[in-house]
Amino acid sequence: MDLRLNQVSFSFRDGFRLSEVNLEIPGGSFLGLIGPNGSGKSTLLRLMSGELKPETGQVLLDNRPVTGFSAVELARQMAVISAEQHFDFPFLVRDVVAMGRFAHMGRMGRAPAANDDVIEESLRLTEADAFADRPISHLSSGERQRVLIARAVAQQPAIMLLDEPDAHLDLHHQLNAFRLLQRLNRERGISLVTVLHDLSAAASFCQRLALLDRGTLIKHGLPNDVITAETIGRVYGHEIIVFRNPVTDSPSVAIGAEQDQWTRNSQ
Amino acid sequence: MRAMKTRTGTSLAVLLFLLLATGLIALLVGPVSDPSAVIIWRIRLPRVLMGLLVGAGLAAAGTVFQGVLRNPLADPFMLGTSSAAAAGVMIAGALHLGHYSSLYFMALTFALLSIMLVYRIAQIEGRAPIQTMILAGVIVSLFFNAAVFVFFSIFYRESFNTLFYLLGTLTEGDPVLIGISSILTAGGLAVCWYLSRDLDILTQGEQTAQHLGVEVESVKKILFTAASCMVAAAVAVAGMIGFVGLIVPHMLRMIVGPNHRVLIPAAAMGGAIFLILADTLARTVLAPIEIPVGALTALVGSPYFVYLLRRRQRHGQF
Repeated sequence: MDLRLNQVSFSFRDGFRLSEVNLEIPGGSFLGLIGPNGSGKSTLLRLMSGELKPETGQVLLDNRPVTGFSAVELARQMAVISAEQHFDFPFLVRDVVAMGRFAHMGRMGRAPAANDDVIEESLRLTEADAFADRPISHLSSGERQRVLIARAVAQQPAIMLLDEPDAHLDLHHQLNAFRLLQRLNRERGISLVTVLHDLSAAASFCQRLALLDRGTLIKHGLPNDVITAETIGRVYGHEIIVFRNPVTDSPSVAIGAEQDQWTRNSQ
Repeated sequence: MRAMKTRTGTSLAVLLFLLLATGLIALLVGPVSDPSAVIIWRIRLPRVLMGLLVGAGLAAAGTVFQGVLRNPLADPFMLGTSSAAAAGVMIAGALHLGHYSSLYFMALTFALLSIMLVYRIAQIEGRAPIQTMILAGVIVSLFFNAAVFVFFSIFYRESFNTLFYLLGTLTEGDPVLIGISSILTAGGLAVCWYLSRDLDILTQGEQTAQHLGVEVESVKKILFTAASCMVAAAVAVAGMIGFVGLIVPHMLRMIVGPNHRVLIPAAAMGGAIFLILADTLARTVLAPIEIPVGALTALVGSPYFVYLLRRRQRHGQF
């Protein structure tokens, strides 16, 4: 299932404007949205999810505007894990994952056995089954992230949108989350679009990257083409060095001369 | 899973049993130690039924408000509903709307209006945090109190009705009006129960709920209106009885869990038990003097609220 953005523009009242974004996301993609704070990554994601309606242009899912879908219709095709999450109520992990089935099973119908199977499988796949019967309010952020991904898997979507799935996670949980996403993409063929801040992680896990700067999509392509010292340095306004990760051969980013100067001065 | 369902069934059965037992005790206990059949069926039974109606409505409405506002401390009492209902009654009196039912409908309308008003004022980006809700409730309540005093000074003859709405008791009761309130409460309960899965998902955040397939804007409006109807129906017959909508859902959430399919009926029964017990206490502890039951629940409820507030602050969550 393809997601296509045609000349999409959107402005906020405070003056921020996302202008004329064109982007093709064919089924089975793994796309990372990168760029400095305030460059429009989350706005772009919210346009893709139908939460915001483009001022001009169109966001098309399977050739239909996403804003034309009903909530249930869209939830069957697209799962969204936004950055803002609430855990005020002590729902069990299993119940939270079961919420992913709402679009498939409706309100009152007794859950058919097939539903339970999907829930169990989502829990297993994300390795959230170990704490399935604990309240989500009692879990660590790494565990919660797995539960949210499990809930998204339970939706059986064709495409999944994520806003900084690695936020608040330590290196170990970050890697676990990325590996899990990669498996969903490869084994299930789910398209993934994710906002990321960690450029090196984005380069090693995503197939393609889209770089935004002040509301404009300035580069879209393979990690090797997007993560270059020149481009990244210009967009982030710092001297950056890019080197090859010796194991994965993907581009990695480090701070250049400025860091040296600062370290020298402080010594 | 099966074990959980059985446990849920057991909890509801226990609550039902407790409700029946409480009702029975309330019928048998009172200032008259050897009551005649007339006292039991004509005086005590209507009060027990009023307790059932008002307690169930307030507790179920509290549960729904807490879910929709994603705030386990929200309570219809803090929304200025009682003052608004009193102001409505005052206006009805001032306009010489003679028929007794006009007082009821004015109370109903104003109670409904005030809840909508508080929600409007408190809303920040579609969310109503507890702090702004309480502030908005205080402000709306002050406004309607002021209106009450203005009317009071002009039309003092209607003062009795007003006092009644501010205190909250289960004593007065016109069968027809109680019937209307019962229908409103039952309807509200049915609607909220039907949307209980939507409500579960709404607690995860509105955007998340939308992405999971809930039509957030319309579901939220329906739930809010249904809950407001239950509160208004309770206030219109019994005045304002506070904290039932806070304490009961909170305690039952700890016992039966947060799933609204179970929590809503559990809270309704729990609210009825709580209020029937409170009313029995209110009319017996200082007999023959009767304490307004609303005062009693507020005396118990306020410290409980402070305790919950402090605990949540310590845990850094709101």
